[in-house]
Amino acid sequence: MSEQPELVRTVEALLFLSSDPLSPGELADATEAGEGAVVAALAVLAEEYAPGLRGIRLRELGGGWTLASDPDTEDAARRLFSRPRASTLSPAQAETLAIVAYLQPISRPEITRIRGVSADSASATLLDRGLIEEAGHSQFGAVLYRTTPQFLKLFGLRSLDELPDIARWDPTPEEQAELRERLLRAGEARAS
Amino acid sequence: MTAVALANLELDLDVFSGPFDLLLTLVLREEVDLLELQLAEVVLAYLDHLEQRGELDLETATEFIVLVAALLELKSRLMLSSEEQELLDIEPEQAAEELLARMLDARRFRAAAAHLGELLDAEHGVRFRIAPPPPNLRRAIVHAADGSHDPQVLGEAIGRMLLMPPAISVRHISTLRITVAERLSHLRELLRRGSFSFDEAVRGADRMTVAVTLFALLELYKRGEAEWEQQESFGEIAIHGRAHEAPAEVLAG
Repeated sequence: MSEQPELVRTVEALLFLSSDPLSPGELADATEAGEGAVVAALAVLAEEYAPGLRGIRLRELGGGWTLASDPDTEDAARRLFSRPRASTLSPAQAETLAIVAYLQPISRPEITRIRGVSADSASATLLDRGLIEEAGHSQFGAVLYRTTPQFLKLFGLRSLDELPDIARWDPTPEEQAELRERLLRAGEARAS
Repeated sequence: MTAVALANLELDLDVFSGPFDLLLTLVLREEVDLLELQLAEVVLAYLDHLEQRGELDLETATEFIVLVAALLELKSRLMLSSEEQELLDIEPEQAAEELLARMLDARRFRAAAAHLGELLDAEHGVRFRIAPPPPNLRRAIVHAADGSHDPQVLGEAIGRMLLMPPAISVRHISTLRITVAERLSHLRELLRRGSFSFDEAVRGADRMTVAVTLFALLELYKRGEAEWEQQESFGEIAIHGRAHEAPAEVLAG
């Protein structure tokens, strides 16, 4: 595909104007160009915005492309805007977010059951921060939650598929055996 | 009287035959197994017994109900506790497995949470444009919305809703005054002449009067001055005086 300088410039302008990631499809619609041409233009832009060249980077996030600041500029940006980009997550929030990310759509009672402690305040905060959103109701009427495009954007993910397989954190058989042993011992101690 | 009546209740059951109070004693001493005793049979025997005697003594009946209820509770507890024990027998292992599965799940997601934390940290310092859409693309124009914050505008919007409307005169509506005492004397008048039906007592009367008359009738029944019966739902209510009791003119005043 030969590059079209005109299209590269237009795509760059659209990315600058939009605060949400733009998919190649959306860009193709707006530029009235083919999706292949748009993808080629994005590749040209990606080279031009390669790390270390500009203060801005081209990122593929949340199912589309978007411009983001280079992390090296953070100190100056913080002085300009006075507020850090996003505060970190508390352990409870991170756990709740992980459960929603992997098991979505999932209801709060289910989250609570997996965590073993209430997830009410954590999920409220995640909702406030726009990382999760409501996704209809379960058959029992409980509100279901899923992650938002904002979640993908802030966590640097192209799509949910980029999350590693949950089985990656399966405990080893030895760890499982040890856990079972400990549980049974605790049970016996209580029974006697 | 009470003790005699219940002691008289002879039972002939699968696991026991003899008087009811002996059965109670044996159950309490655990010589008769409550689990094998069909309490329904006891109740049926009592009902037969009542029928034979041909009259219902409230005190005896109450005592019987209390005793049977106590037996039922005792029996249901016996049945439950045995089940509980069975559950406990299987449970430790199963509960441990379930708990284990849950702990493994929790562990996985704790690790996943740590991973998400790392992802977020890796994105530290990355900022995105947060651009509000330009004014001409907004669905509502902000300065038009601002106008509604003006207290004057709000006040006008709420208009006269906060004013009390003038009170509505109800003087033209006459209040129906029908008293129970009135209807009582009406019914007593009819009773003096003999039996009558409720329909006769309220012939041509309005709904309010019908209701109050029924109320008066209840009062008469309570005082034992009248008996009434109705063969079927919505059927005629026949009312007649109680012959053996002289009507007491208590509420007449």
